[in-house]
Amino acid sequence: MTARTSTPPKAALVVASDLEALTGFQSALTSNGYVAIIARDLPTALLAITQHYFDVAIVSSRLGEGGDGWALAGVLHLVFPRAFIAVLTPGEPDVVTFQSAINNGVSEIYEQSRRPAEIVGAITDGSSGGTASSGQTVQ
Amino acid sequence: MPHKPSLLIVDDEVSVARTLQMVFEQEGYKVAAAFSCAEALHLLNNGGRYDAIITDLNMEQPDIGLDVARAAGGLSPRPVVVICTGYASSDNSRKALELRVDYLANKPVDLKELVPALNRMIAHRRDLRVWK
Repeated sequence: MTARTSTPPKAALVVASDLEALTGFQSALTSNGYVAIIARDLPTALLAITQHYFDVAIVSSRLGEGGDGWALAGVLHLVFPRAFIAVLTPGEPDVVTFQSAINNGVSEIYEQSRRPAEIVGAITDGSSGGTASSGQTVQ
Repeated sequence: MPHKPSLLIVDDEVSVARTLQMVFEQEGYKVAAAFSCAEALHLLNNGGRYDAIITDLNMEQPDIGLDVARAAGGLSPRPVVVICTGYASSDNSRKALELRVDYLANKPVDLKELVPALNRMIAHRRDLRVWK
């Protein structure tokens, strides 16, 4: 008799102040087999981190009054070092943006004007360097 | 007592490399220095293993420090990689992100920022190995 094992679905955290973006990412992630948990501000995101394991996190760099997305990405990297962490930026990334990404353990940057389905596709298809599908190995 | 973390410093400015070496030795690191990308690659390709590597970006050629980061990324265990540069651009910092460089510091280096950051990253990497 063999024991049957089932792999739990992958979980993703999306943090953005824009409700439309959150809904779009939730829909795209769910379509790709993820359990998606959304948060509109830093306190809600931090609470989610204490309650769930995340394979993927998608965080807006600007959370408005809800907090600093870069700092949150850094926390996510520390708590979930094998997670794929994407940050959404308002425009084309410049050198300061790339430096913030590197120093906060971010895996990839996406312009927030891109469609959520396109970004989720890039994350799950392995078309953007280190990806959620390949996993980040920290040795 | 945990062993001393090992660190390779790569910089073609000997004074910069030696200063960083002195600072990190005082912090309890075992430090080796290389004064070119070629010298660093020779060390890495001949069994040199380090907990962390701090490399300049522009040495024999512009952005050649990325070659050090690339070589470090192929090692197991992968060392923490820090690039220090006064010539960061969107292009080379994008490549550094793709190479999964752990930290990008501006020159002149702010040691009050770099030293605790490196200590934290090495401790974090060790914790991950313990729990693996």
